This record gives sequence, C-alpha cells and structure tokens, in this order.
Amino acid sequence: MDISRRAFLGGSAAVLAGSVLDIDQPPLVEATGAAQHAQAHVLNSAPATMPTAEVIALNRIAYGPRPGDIERVQTMGLAAYVDEQLNPNDSDDADCLARIATATLHIQYAAGTDYPAVDEDRPLETLDQTLDVLWQRSKHGSFTERYRPVDEVRAATWLRAIYSKWQLREVLMEFWLNHFNVNTRADSRIAATWPLYVYGAIKPHCFGKFRDLLEAVAQSIAMQYYLDNATSRDGPANENYARELFELHTLGSDNYFNDLYDRWQDVPGAQEGSPAGYIDVDVYEAARAFTGWTIADGKYVGSGSYLPDTGEFMYYDGWHDNAQKRVLATEFLHNAPPLQDGHDVLDLVARHPGTARHICKKLCQRLVADQPAESLVQQAVAVWLANVDDAAQIQKTLRTIILSAEFSATWGKKVKRPFELQVAFLRAIGAEVTPNSSLFYRLGQTGYAMFDWPTPTGMPDIAAAWLSTNTIMQNWNTLYALYSSSFGAATFDLRAQIPATATTSRQIVDYWVSRMLGYSVDASTYEQLLSFMAQGEPVDQAPVGSDTDLTNRINNLVMLIAMTPDFQWR
Amino acid sequence: MAGGRIGGLVFAAPHQPTTRDTLVVLFLRGGCDGLTLVAPTDDADYVAARGALRVENTGTNAGLLLSNPLANIDFRLHPKASALKELYDSQALAIVHACGLTNGTRSHFDAMDYMERGTPEDKNTSTGWLTRHLRAINPDAVLPAMAASASMPASLLGSVDAVATTSVPGFKLNGHYKYGPLQQDALRVMYNGNSILHRAGKSTLDTIAAVQAQNPANPYVPDVEYPTDSYVRGLVDSLKAIAQMIKLDLGLEIATVDFGGWDTHESQNGVISNMIDGLSRALGAFYNDLAAYHSRLTVVVMSEFGRRLKANRSDGTDHGHGNVALVLGGNVNGGRMYGTWPGLANEQLDNRVDLAVTTDYRTILSEILVRRLQNPKLGYVFPQIASYNPLGIVQGNDLPIDYSAGLYSTYLPHLQK
Repeated sequence: MDISRRAFLGGSAAVLAGSVLDIDQPPLVEATGAAQHAQAHVLNSAPATMPTAEVIALNRIAYGPRPGDIERVQTMGLAAYVDEQLNPNDSDDADCLARIATATLHIQYAAGTDYPAVDEDRPLETLDQTLDVLWQRSKHGSFTERYRPVDEVRAATWLRAIYSKWQLREVLMEFWLNHFNVNTRADSRIAATWPLYVYGAIKPHCFGKFRDLLEAVAQSIAMQYYLDNATSRDGPANENYARELFELHTLGSDNYFNDLYDRWQDVPGAQEGSPAGYIDVDVYEAARAFTGWTIADGKYVGSGSYLPDTGEFMYYDGWHDNAQKRVLATEFLHNAPPLQDGHDVLDLVARHPGTARHICKKLCQRLVADQPAESLVQQAVAVWLANVDDAAQIQKTLRTIILSAEFSATWGKKVKRPFELQVAFLRAIGAEVTPNSSLFYRLGQTGYAMFDWPTPTGMPDIAAAWLSTNTIMQNWNTLYALYSSSFGAATFDLRAQIPATATTSRQIVDYWVSRMLGYSVDASTYEQLLSFMAQGEPVDQAPVGSDTDLTNRINNLVMLIAMTPDFQWR
Repeated sequence: MAGGRIGGLVFAAPHQPTTRDTLVVLFLRGGCDGLTLVAPTDDADYVAARGALRVENTGTNAGLLLSNPLANIDFRLHPKASALKELYDSQALAIVHACGLTNGTRSHFDAMDYMERGTPEDKNTSTGWLTRHLRAINPDAVLPAMAASASMPASLLGSVDAVATTSVPGFKLNGHYKYGPLQQDALRVMYNGNSILHRAGKSTLDTIAAVQAQNPANPYVPDVEYPTDSYVRGLVDSLKAIAQMIKLDLGLEIATVDFGGWDTHESQNGVISNMIDGLSRALGAFYNDLAAYHSRLTVVVMSEFGRRLKANRSDGTDHGHGNVALVLGGNVNGGRMYGTWPGLANEQLDNRVDLAVTTDYRTILSEILVRRLQNPKLGYVFPQIASYNPLGIVQGNDLPIDYSAGLYSTYLPHLQK
C-alpha cells in the first residue's frame, strides 16, 4: 500500500488546506473528495464557552489562576483588582520575596588561569547588587560567572511569575523587556549587569511615563552595547540603535515611509512640522544625534586618552557630531549642549502619535487579542496621548484597556506562549517550584528565549508564531518532564489535593477542570477526559486500579488537561 | 518495509519521491555583507570606501579568485570560503551578484517580511511564498516541508504542510509508558478542529507519529564530517536534520534553515570571518553528505539586504541594499557568476550609498520554481510578478507560465497590522 499525505492524514489534510491565520475564521476548503470526507467529522473550534471576566483577567493580566484566585477577584470586583494590581507594593509580597531570598542555583566551572574551580549551590546574590560590583563581575575570567546574573534573574522571574502577588507588573515587565529586547548573549557586559537593566531601567517605569522609560533604556549598559551605540562616533555614525529606536521602540515600521528615502518634505504633514512617519534619512540623522552617548568602559578614545572604567553611562563630546541635523522635519542647531541632540530625538519620538498607536496596539495585542479591536486601540491611544507628560501615563492607558468592554468580551483570540503555559500549569497545581538550569533549558527548547532572543524585535506575540510543531511538542514534553523527580524543578502531589468529596471519575475530572480552567470544556473534550479517568468503568463510580496506577492516572489526567486546546487559550 | 499505525489509519512504505527537486532555502539573517562574501577586489570605489574592511587581491590574506566573473572584475570569495570555492570550481555552485529586493527598505524585519512573503509591495501578506508554492503543487507526501528551526520562517507562514524541528530523532513525544499513548489518542480527538490551534495540534500528533514510524537513527550518522565550531553549531544541527529527513524518504520537497548573526554594525572583520568560515564549511559538508541526492537537490542562499558601501567608524557597516545570492545543486550551471554588475561609483549606487539591485530576487527563485520544482504558477507564488526571465542558473524545462494570482487575492486575508 502506498502512503500519501491525504490517505495518511485523512480528513484533516483537506481542512488544513485553507491557509488562514485568523484564529477562528473557518478555512476555505476546496471541494474535493477529501474535503467532503472531512466534513463528516465533528470539528472543534475556538472555545464556545465564555469564561467569566475574572477568569479572563487572571489569564491575561496574570499568569493564570492559583487556587482561590478566582473567588478572590469575584469578591473584590474586577475594577478593584485591577487598581490593586496597578499599584504594586513590594512590602506586601512576603511569600514571593522569601522564596527569592532562599533560592539557590547551582554553579559549576573548571579552574582558569586566574580563578579556582567552582561547584556549589549559590543564592541569588546579584539581583540587587550595585553597578560597581556588577561591573567588576563583567571582567571575571569565567564566562559562567559573567553570565551568572542572567540565570539569577531567570530564576527570580520564574518565582515572581508563579508566586508574586503583583502579577500585572510581571506581565508588564515581560512586555517591556520584549519590546526593548536585548540579547544577553551579545556581550558579557550586558550579561554581568543584567539585573540593572531589568530592575533598574525597566521595572521602575513599567507603569510610568514612556519618555522616562525610553531614556532609561537608551542609556542602559544593555541597550548601549546590544545596538552598538557605545561605539558610535562622528563620521559615519553607527545607525543600529537609531534604526531600531524608530522602527521597534517608538513609531514602528507602519510609520516608515521607505519609498521617500531622503525626501522629507514629501512625508505627509512634514511641511506643517508634524510628519506622519519617518524616512531613512531620519534614521541617519538621529544616529548622528546619539554619537557620543556611550558607556564609561575604559575604551581608548585617541590621543593617548581613555574613558573612565566604571560602567556608567556617559557623554563623550569628542565623539559627538556637532553639526546641524534635521529629524522628523525638525531642525537641530549645530553645537548643541551635551546630550541635547539625543534628548531632542527622544522627545520627538516619545510624543509622536505614531508611537502612541504602535505601542498601544502592542499592549492590546499582549493583553487582549492577536488582532485587537480598532475601537479598543483608539481608546488606548487617546489616553496615552492625553497623558504624555503624566507620571502615570502607562498606568492610565493600561487601566483603560483592561477595564474596557472589549477586554472582558474577548476570549480565545490568543494562545499562551510557552512560558505562560508552564507557569499557568505550575500555578494551577500549587507546585513547589525551585527553578534550575534544566527548567531554563527546557523553556528555550520551545522557542521561547527568555533574555536571549537574538533579534531586537523581541518575541512575536501572535498565535501563529507559537504553534509550530516544535513548540507544541516541546510544550507537551516539558509538562511531562515536570513530573520527573530527576528534573528537580517542581514538586507536587496531585492526588492528595483532591477533596474527599470528589470520589467518582466524573467528580475528579470536574474538580481539576474547574481548578485549572475555571470554566466548562466542550462536550468532546469532556468526554475524552472522563473516559481517560474512568478507563472503561462507569464514570459515576470511583475509578478502579491499583494505588500506584490511580496516582499515575490522576497525574496524567491533570497533564492532559494542560494539553487540551482549552488550556492553551488566553 | 516500515509500517505503523496512526489515528486508526494503517500505512505502509513511504511514498515514492516526486520528480521535483528538494529545495533548501538557507536565509542569512541580519543582512550579510555581500561585498565581503563575494568582493569586487580591484574596484577603486570599493577599495576607497572600505579601507581595512575589504577583501584584498594580493598578499597572504587575499580572497579566492573566481573564474567567469561579472564585468571582468577581480571578484573573489572571502579567503575563509574555500569550501564554497571548491563547489564553484566543480560547477555545482553559481553566484548571483547585485540582486535582492527591489523595495528600498533598510529595515531588516520589513525586508524579510517582503521577501519571504514574496510580495515586495506588501509586508502583511498572510502567507509565505513557499506556502503558496506548496499549495500550488499540492504535495502528496507525509512530510513535504520542514523548517529546521524552533519556529516557522515567514516564507512558510500560514503553511499547514510544514513542520518545525531541529532534530529528527528528537522529534517525538515523551510520556508515561501506559498513559502517554492514551493521552495522544485523546488529544487526536480534542484537536480535530478547524481553529489554527486545533490544526496545529493535530498536525503535530500526526507528523511526529509518521517520522517515528521510520525509526530515525539517534543520533544521526552523517556520511561526512560537519564542522563542530561553536559559532556554526546551530546551522550544522539544522542542516543535519534536513539531511536526515531527506534520507528518510518521506517526500521532503521544501526545507528552510536560518543562519543569523550577519548584522555586522561593528568590528566586522573578526565576526564575518567566522560567519563565512562556518557557512562555507557547513554548506560544503551538507552537500557532500547528500551526494546520493544531488540530481534532485537545489540549495539557495539569500539574505534580506547587503550592507553600506562605506564603512562606519565602529569598524562595521550599516544596512544597505543590493547583495549576493548563491545557488547550489546537481542541476546548477555553476562555476560562473550571474547578474548585471551596476558599478560602485557614486552615481551608480542606490541612493548614492549602496550597491544597486539589478536582479530581482524573484527572478532567481522563479527560475528554480519553474525548472527544478516544475511549478509554473508564478502569479500565485509571486502575485506582483510580471515576467519570467530565467538567467540560465539551473537546468530544466521551461513551462508555460501562469501569471494569474488565482485564489491569492480572494482567500488570503491580510493580517491586521
């Protein structure tokens, strides 16, 4: 017998034929025999059941409900919960902070010429270290030591996502770190000082004013090295940072008039001083504005002189291009005072309506749907622009998005990315989690690159990017790995958590579905879960099997729920 | 005979391979500096603009002189590209210069979107050019396409024929000995749906089962040695996965592989030397590993754009325009350069700064589509293309070209951007 794709995959190949990326738009199926065959199957689709607003919120402004979360938000009301989350208070996060304080990560490397071998479990000691201490670390002979702060922040990020009370802040930290993506593998100085980027540049501003966040990033060690501005100097400047500032950090490429190249007067609105977008020459000119913005890293700057070697951001006038410039139809005078050219560029892009739209749309994409409603984006843009000088600009914009009608009316228009999936699983089952390198490695295998996504775009935020065969396979294999005692990253006893009142197969399934999903699954999925638990016995009787077998079955039932289509949606 | 049982369907031996080539698309992400990979070493403008950042034509570090160059210029491969030089001299490798995207974007991500979606006027097209090619030929194989990467490139956007994996033996689901298979049975029912999520889950279950039924060797044992240097490990792993998948004879027609790290804004010489060394040796090993498949193997190497003619003060180069592309295979008219060299004098440059594009990248791909992949539906794969002008890079028959966009415009909704 010959094997063909159509015979092999049966009906699904024909259904798969219509290439449609909309999550729930039915594909157009060409009229073939196989297609008719496909229509004989019952087809599942995007979730029919609409979860409550609380469940939706806990899946999108938090990393999934923990036991008791749904009831808590129901009691206090969604608006009160959102306001609480928008005003985080670290003194009220004892459990999470204690876990970070007591966590350890193994570190091991062989001796080098100027350092001894190390093989120990070490606390997360770099998270709140100062620049001078971390800058010294960037000169350590061992790559493992230089890279250690990245792993420590990874461990803390897992712990915060799972245990912190301030879930929305964690969601926003992930958002901004992705928006202002830096690959920690690009430079040891980025890796060694990584806590300063995450907790010094991003965290204080994640609900604040965008202009402040933009400057903190522009002057960070991480961005200065990642996009090469630290070596950019007069004649010709290095355009890497300026390019991504426009294209990724602020206006976005939807506002790039690449066909105009250098014809700035042809950009709509330019003659009136408010150009609708940017052109290549804006990038070239902005790059000149940022020459001299660098890091005091002891580099040789000619004529027998060196910059200080402290790791601090500095302006070195000797490298600055001091001639006149034109950026976004705005004239910059020659010989501006130190830093002013760069500040003027940041002011222009931070206030630009294109930036408002680009970022508000990304926020809506993160918090609501892959293709958010235009009405929602417009509401967010209006608040963003009205508060462009307000210290709570981002906070007010977020409140508008989350408390919008569109937010609570939208479900199943996004899937969880691998990190969200694993964290939601660990939260739902009440696991005791001790992050380790195996956990980090596993996550990386899914394609989710925490702190080492290679390109400055950051990771994509649409379902199609997270539904490759590899990602799904690695997601499922990671769930399985979490059950293994040798994996060592999590411990839990699922059978012991089932209340005494849940004795039949149906009651056990209902308990775990309610706890993990917070809403009823469709009939087809429910039937599969019931028959998995009952294994041929009546579903309204206690499941039959040896003690070990029942423990295994319950473990695998819970894993199966985490593998259902329902658990993948956000 | 390999047999197995999946989803209630019994299957037997793999499908006979088609007469179409397997096309491997290797994308150099970040904007490879084509003026370093294949350098016009005696061009006075090149020498003046590049200074120390150039390939030389004399001395111990001279580039590797190419026969049959364009415009009688002293074109040389970078000195680290000796494996590519061997392939060129054996007439398996052709080089196209001053080619690329006609759209003038200097954005990496826009340029890749335009190129890989195959629509240089529209970066939001919801399917990739390879996706539409697969739709046009409607392959009748279990596993017609793979992305040798963790996720899918834009050229395969919207494809449900393609799988993503970087390891063939690792392409399997782990689970409890008793409950793992039962979970997979349950999931096959749960994922029998029409949303993008359901289709992806079902495809994952089915293709993994199909590959595992072939009992792929673990680890893969190639017929030649691949380079082991750390800077090329990712590329080598991906190429090995493709080679192993081709040898499983599951009917692979399209494979994509990415090699990133070409965005050499600073300290270019040291970085690009390793990149070219890795690319050259890995590609050479891959080609030799598949010696038995040369008669139906075509590899194309491309990048989103070239780099600025004039170096910057960070000893690097910024985003440019025209670039080089490589075509490798058993039916390639190799050993010569193709294209039209536009020159590097100021007025010959694109916008007075970058190498101009004189050959649309779609011209190269169209020729491969028609002559090697037997797909004349160019209007469907490249909806904005107006003519078919093969350069003679590959052997094969020309077919009557279908320029109609077909269903392209009706059933491919645009993603909201």
